[in-house]
Amino acid sequence: MKPAVVIPICICAAALGSHATRFSNVVNPPVRAAGLEAQETHAAASLLGQFRTSISSFLFLRSDLYLHGGVEMRPLTKKEVDSGKKGVGAAADENEKLADDDSIVTVIPGARDDFRGIFGDVERSVASYKDMTGHHHQSPTQTLPLFRLMTWLDPKFIEGWTTGGYVILFDQKPGCIEKALAYLQQGLESNPDSIDILGQVAYCYLKEMEPIGYKGHQYDKALPYLEHARKIGVGNLKLLTEGEKEALEENYRRLAVCYRELHRYQDMRDCSLEGLQLFGQDGSLRQHAKEAEQLLRTQTTRQ
Amino acid sequence: MQPAISVENLSVQYRTKRGEVFDAVKDLSFSVQPGEVVGFLGPNGAGKSSTLKALMGFVEPKAGKAQIFGLQAGTPESRASIGYLPEVAMYYPFLTPVETLQMYGELQGLKGKDLRVQIDELLQVLGIAQAAKKLNRSLSKGMLQRVGIAQSLLGSPKLLVLDEVTSGLDPVGRKELRHLLRDRQERGATLFFSSHELAEVDMLCDRIILINKGRFVEERNVGVLKDELRMFTLEYLGITSLVGLTDEWSEIGPNRFFAKFQSKAAMLEAIGRIQLAGGRIVDIASAEGSLEDYFVNTVEVAA
Amino acid sequence: MKIATLKALARSVVLESLRRKDLWVVAILGFLIILAAGTLGFFGFDGLQVFAKDLAVTVVGLFSTIIAVLTSFRLIPDEIRNRTLYPLLSRPISRIELLVGKLIGSIVVTWMSFIILCGLTAIALEIFQVQFTVIMLQYVLMKMLGLAVVCSISMAMSIYLTPNAAATLAFIIAFGAPMITRALTMSAPTVDVGTRTLYSVLNGVLPQTQLFDLGGRAVYPNWSPVPIWILGFLLAYAVVYSSAMLGLGWLKFRKQAI
Repeated sequence: MKPAVVIPICICAAALGSHATRFSNVVNPPVRAAGLEAQETHAAASLLGQFRTSISSFLFLRSDLYLHGGVEMRPLTKKEVDSGKKGVGAAADENEKLADDDSIVTVIPGARDDFRGIFGDVERSVASYKDMTGHHHQSPTQTLPLFRLMTWLDPKFIEGWTTGGYVILFDQKPGCIEKALAYLQQGLESNPDSIDILGQVAYCYLKEMEPIGYKGHQYDKALPYLEHARKIGVGNLKLLTEGEKEALEENYRRLAVCYRELHRYQDMRDCSLEGLQLFGQDGSLRQHAKEAEQLLRTQTTRQ
Repeated sequence: MQPAISVENLSVQYRTKRGEVFDAVKDLSFSVQPGEVVGFLGPNGAGKSSTLKALMGFVEPKAGKAQIFGLQAGTPESRASIGYLPEVAMYYPFLTPVETLQMYGELQGLKGKDLRVQIDELLQVLGIAQAAKKLNRSLSKGMLQRVGIAQSLLGSPKLLVLDEVTSGLDPVGRKELRHLLRDRQERGATLFFSSHELAEVDMLCDRIILINKGRFVEERNVGVLKDELRMFTLEYLGITSLVGLTDEWSEIGPNRFFAKFQSKAAMLEAIGRIQLAGGRIVDIASAEGSLEDYFVNTVEVAA
Repeated sequence: MKIATLKALARSVVLESLRRKDLWVVAILGFLIILAAGTLGFFGFDGLQVFAKDLAVTVVGLFSTIIAVLTSFRLIPDEIRNRTLYPLLSRPISRIELLVGKLIGSIVVTWMSFIILCGLTAIALEIFQVQFTVIMLQYVLMKMLGLAVVCSISMAMSIYLTPNAAATLAFIIAFGAPMITRALTMSAPTVDVGTRTLYSVLNGVLPQTQLFDLGGRAVYPNWSPVPIWILGFLLAYAVVYSSAMLGLGWLKFRKQAI
């Protein structure tokens, strides 16, 4: 193409380009600029956000590897289950939150199930592989840096905050309550309306830890968090995930206990009944509701 | 005695990326005797580099035979007696000239003091001693060409195969190179080089081999060729018939003529005729003929 | 094959690579990443050791593989592009000697950078009060063998493909082969005999790079060192596989017009 043609085209393109932002506002006006997160308005931020979320999920899965001393586990596939293959069984210890179910197997198979011959034998010798039947977990505190990293990368990763908080408490060393609370408070800064984190903070105030002489039972301190969680839960019940609903149910139980210990029986009854309306099958809440009625009667009789 | 180079019916074929086959060299035959200095000439794309590559074993001939001192060309044994300079090479940018020469010397089978002495000598002779410890990437094109020439001379090879030897060299460098190559020839080396610089060919070669479009055109002894190309001119007064002696004459003034002769004998004969006819000789001159004209004419005829 | 020839070729590769400084950049970057693990000491250094080791093994494994590919994928293509292959092959050396010499050079460069990286990593781990064990030494030795295999794959690919394609494929093989092996192992018990035979062939062809990674045992506590016969087997495997890759490259390079 001749310069005489190319140059005017380039000049026009440059002129148009320099006014592109004005045109874009006219042609494609902002629909809902207010209240959107950066990842919703910028492609690059969205991509970065996805990357961060993926890494966080990877790190969360990696915590499982730490617990199993490096032995990589996986759930049985449907095909394996159908063929009658059995897993190695759940962990022998009680790290409930980080524990596994009994339908897991090692990723590297045992010699009997491995078609690779000597290569399989060598891999079982060099990799962190062992028979995990009736296995024990390593100390979960080893996974703490992973939780720190995953919540840095993705501050919206609620499970990273709650499980991390639990693991800090599990350490049962002096100062672990303060550390857990500080960690969870950071989580609340990024997720002020997270029912799980609010419940976890309350749990820190309530839990008694004999080995470090922590008495717990700080009902007055736990109460604001539980009440806030209740408020959020009732207002957004339909939007809650199954996990959040479970957390909310647990919060109702704790809230009832807090009201009881603070002698607010009317509130105890109200919250238990409200909880029962939402989670009709909960035996603890039913028990709390009954207990609240009794306490209220006793209180009235005394008066 | 075995010829230094013997090429018989050599053909080299290349296949393009599209799968098309073309003949770079076809049915080429020539030989070079030990101690000779032979220029290998031809226009661009004539097949000079392909022939040299076949001699070095860089490409496998499609047909024919090439030998170096009686050994099959391209074998490590045959290459032991060759010093080769490629057309343009970017010698290892992160090595110094000394390190470059040391590596090539060791590959040539040289080692220890002998190698060090040779490297020092070549660095001096080729004027790169000052730059001996600079990285190759900081050297000019001309200096790199000197490094290349130095590597080709390592181990005092019996046969020097030089592709565009003066490429990148300034006039001073070319003069020094001519001295160097003459010196090598006097020490018994055979020189076979391709060049576009007909002045170099003129000054260095005993013989030239001309090829075009991959085929042999002719070979000439440079001394004889230069004699043949020499021009004799005569300026004279008076009308004289020069029929049978030359066709190249013209009247350059009133009763004043200018004539060109291909041989001295023809010119002397013409002088005799002019004097006999009562004419007068004004000027006699002899000039070297143009090798370039010869080259262009011959190639045109061959094409 | 002449030792002096191989030595001269390998030395030039090493010298060039050291002066390019890429290796140092990678090694220092690796060191800084591992050191950055200290910022995760939010909870104190207790519990940080396993993570520090995990991060170190990940960074060292990743970076050393990158170095292995980067040092070997360009060697032959660069010689052709810069026309330095001509003066090299004009010497009385064979093309297989050239390949072997270059491969040795790239392996030495990779090993050197790996050792530098390990040295810096050891300093970082020392800061995190990590205890050094025999397995860590075994990890280093076996990783070196694995890196040699990666170098040979990368160089062989570079003879058949363009440099960029060769590097990409070498990365895919180095990082992807263990994943493919894992997938084959997982699904093998539920497939028919014919498919399993195909799996065995595929598994034999793929480089078993995961066998050279003792990272799991080095990171997590309470693992015993690897028996000597395993090290011997892996040494033999590395030699055989690298030779096969070299042979594959040579098949084309021996007659290649340059």
